[in-house]
Amino acid sequence: MRPVPSARSLARAWFDIGTQSVGGGTSTLFMIRRVLVDRLHWITLREFTEAWALSQLSPGIHLVALAGLLGRQIAGWRGVVVSVAGMMVPAALITALITALFGQIAEQPLAIAALAGVGPVAGGMTIGLALSMARPVLQRGRYGILDIAVVAVAFAVLLAGAAQTLLVIVIAGVFGAVFLTRERPTASDAPES
Amino acid sequence: MPEQLQLLLIFLKSSALAIGGLASLPLLRADLVPQYVADAGIVQALAIGRLTPGPNGLYIVSLGYLVAGWPGALYGLIGATVAPLAILPATSLARRWLLSAWFGGLVRGVSLATVGLLLATGVTIVDAGGSQIWQLALVAATVAVTVHGKLHPALMIGVGTLVGIALGR
Repeated sequence: MRPVPSARSLARAWFDIGTQSVGGGTSTLFMIRRVLVDRLHWITLREFTEAWALSQLSPGIHLVALAGLLGRQIAGWRGVVVSVAGMMVPAALITALITALFGQIAEQPLAIAALAGVGPVAGGMTIGLALSMARPVLQRGRYGILDIAVVAVAFAVLLAGAAQTLLVIVIAGVFGAVFLTRERPTASDAPES
Repeated sequence: MPEQLQLLLIFLKSSALAIGGLASLPLLRADLVPQYVADAGIVQALAIGRLTPGPNGLYIVSLGYLVAGWPGALYGLIGATVAPLAILPATSLARRWLLSAWFGGLVRGVSLATVGLLLATGVTIVDAGGSQIWQLALVAATVAVTVHGKLHPALMIGVGTLVGIALGR
């Protein structure tokens, strides 16, 4: 049995992860692995990989689910609270503060001009991230056509305003449970443990 | 229903029904634009979410602030934090379910639909921001850079800011 770290050192580790990983996604994932597995040895690589695969099934931000799963592994329910709060609260505070500060200058002509350039970048990032998300999920070959059809229908329905976003998600979930069950998407992506 | 409670529920719902950090965006946009915030606010929140530390999904906190000030930021944080933790009881109580074929299919279906919804939302954001030639060129460059994944996202926002200041007046 590994010794349970103090709440203070656990909070410190997640604070580092939350505040030192700008850009989100893979950079945060990389930090979590480096701090918890390589530096502090609180989690084995096998446990990390298992938790990662499970976190891919969670609603919302997968990294929050990962923090919760790893926190529970390290220090039970206390570990969940400390880990998730340690990663999220300082980062959220910085995010809200910057939003508030930007609000002070948002009406300036220079800021409005800048947003005319940031808008296309934000839109392009959303499109680019969606394409990146599709890559590991889409299957090759005959069945891939069904996958692409789901993407295309969701895209067209929302753009045409033909149905509510929520309805599209629910129908796609039911459709997937019935017709897209050939393989589990997450297990195949996870590195072998 | 009191407005504040309604907002909290909107943020909770968007995270609970989406798989992945940015996946909450189509749902949030559907509920918040244009009653609570304009598309320009979505752009601002996405950019700030990328410039600040922590997961991408934290754009939701920025959006919350734009919608309802500090209480709104708190609603965003609650939604972003509480929803993913549903995985904890699920792994204890229903591990067998999580590993079943139909649940895998459900996640797959929702993920694929999310890709389509996010693509449409991206197009909408681009459309709302104006479609001059230089703006469309920025879109194309950002898509390429994001898919390629080598350049830091904060850098791309910096580029957009400078180009906007140079050409957006």
